Amino acid sequence: MTQQTLVTAGGSRPVPRPDEISRFFWDGAGEGRLLLQRCRACGNLQYPPDVCCLNCQSEDLEHTEVSGHGSIYSYAVIERPLHAGFVDAVPYVIALVELVEQPGLRLVTNLVGAAPAQLACGQPVEVVFERRDGITLPQFRLTEASR
Amino acid sequence: MTSLARDVAVVGVGYSQLSRAGEPEPAVLLLDAVKGALADAGLTSADVDGIFEYKFGPESPGAQDVARVLGVPDLAAFADILPTNPSGLGGVLAGVMAVASGACETALVFRCLTRAAGHTGGVADGPREIAGRNQFLTPYGYLGGILVEMALKKRRWLAEYARPEADFGHIAVNARRWAALNPRAVLREPVTMDDYLSSRAIAEPLRLLDCDYPINGAVATVITTAERAADLRQPPVLVDAMSYGTGRGADWTFHTDYLYGGTFDCANRLWRRSSVTLDDVDVAQVYDGFTSVTLSWLEALGVCGRGEFGDWIGDGSRLGPGGDFPMNTAGGQLAEGRLHGVSFLNEAVLQIRGQCGPRQVPNAQVALVASGLYLQCGAVVLTSG
Repeated sequence: MTQQTLVTAGGSRPVPRPDEISRFFWDGAGEGRLLLQRCRACGNLQYPPDVCCLNCQSEDLEHTEVSGHGSIYSYAVIERPLHAGFVDAVPYVIALVELVEQPGLRLVTNLVGAAPAQLACGQPVEVVFERRDGITLPQFRLTEASR
Repeated sequence: MTSLARDVAVVGVGYSQLSRAGEPEPAVLLLDAVKGALADAGLTSADVDGIFEYKFGPESPGAQDVARVLGVPDLAAFADILPTNPSGLGGVLAGVMAVASGACETALVFRCLTRAAGHTGGVADGPREIAGRNQFLTPYGYLGGILVEMALKKRRWLAEYARPEADFGHIAVNARRWAALNPRAVLREPVTMDDYLSSRAIAEPLRLLDCDYPINGAVATVITTAERAADLRQPPVLVDAMSYGTGRGADWTFHTDYLYGGTFDCANRLWRRSSVTLDDVDVAQVYDGFTSVTLSWLEALGVCGRGEFGDWIGDGSRLGPGGDFPMNTAGGQLAEGRLHGVSFLNEAVLQIRGQCGPRQVPNAQVALVASGLYLQCGAVVLTSG
């Protein structure tokens, strides 16, 4: 499933530097796909990517696309910028989103396009993608039903 | 039976002056604290053969620096401990292990820091490309050290247990109640629950009064064998049990047990090893770098069931002077000032000795110390022997 790409500014914001372990994740995001490591031995999905399965320590990991649907596990509202790249972003929301595929499977993300006052833990969210200087970040927003 | 494993005691505590203002030289603060601790114990630097310090930020002199300044003849055991340890208590735990094992006879432990440590105020430019684990955090504006994480933990707690923020506020109010009785404390004015609930957001829902108070100061502790302690200046304070804990999936953000980290593992291990139980504890010193940390510790230590803090705490007075669970009797890091763990140990020692003046808990025989947070937990039980 190819997701909508959300283009934003923020030219001076930090960007990830993909490495041997994480490159598939950022490459997938560039194609509009949310890819996670899945253990072929035990089936465990994990994030962030790591050197082996954190559940059974198998190194037999595949990259699998997940739905991009989840719910807000927690969130914080940042009103004072802590980095020059985010001065034009405040207030912005950092969230932990728990994906529907597996209990406890969480990502750190921004909640884009949401007014902080309308947010609550448990609300359904979906992935969108943000282009930032040649790389793409998965981001999340409230689903249409909860906006 | 090998030579390993001896009974251990804490025999000396020392403090520099604690201050918010100015930029005192860390080495000067530290000299005050370590000389004070040795004098308190009735020992000299010639007796010291182990040094352990918790290094968070570059400002603190290291183990060898202190050995050189004090003229310590030789160090049989030493370490400069990374900030991933259970805060400053990590130095204490290392000192206890070194003495218990026979690696050294008398360990000097210290923590020295200035208010600049961990400073994240203001807007700074970091590196543009973020490598390693932070590549999944920093590009999202997850910055400011652990402030964002502390905000996320507080929000989740409030949602998970459907509790009001006042649960956290009780920790902040309690700290000032005790600090008013501690001449060393930097913040001695009382705060009310209204003050807490109206204090400004650092990263909403984290408030200013959820966060400890950065100060300039140094604190030191002397640890030796129980056998030697019997002949020293102060009433002996025995280390009854100690433990570390990380929990599974140790991580700030993605820990398997998001709200508690390794606190339950650390606390359960402590109680399995201790000769006493929670019911025997007369006074507790529990890490309060952020109020959420204290709540997770208290539940893990067993004062109430998981998720039951809000029911247990009542109006908050049980933690205060005259309460049935006196906690952070020096004011903690929220009010005495941020001294990173060693200060909790020292206050527990002073309570057991009966040397706390107006804040003394009557007839304190057993003290509980829990330090660090989430994936970096440590705890100690002290007794009067």
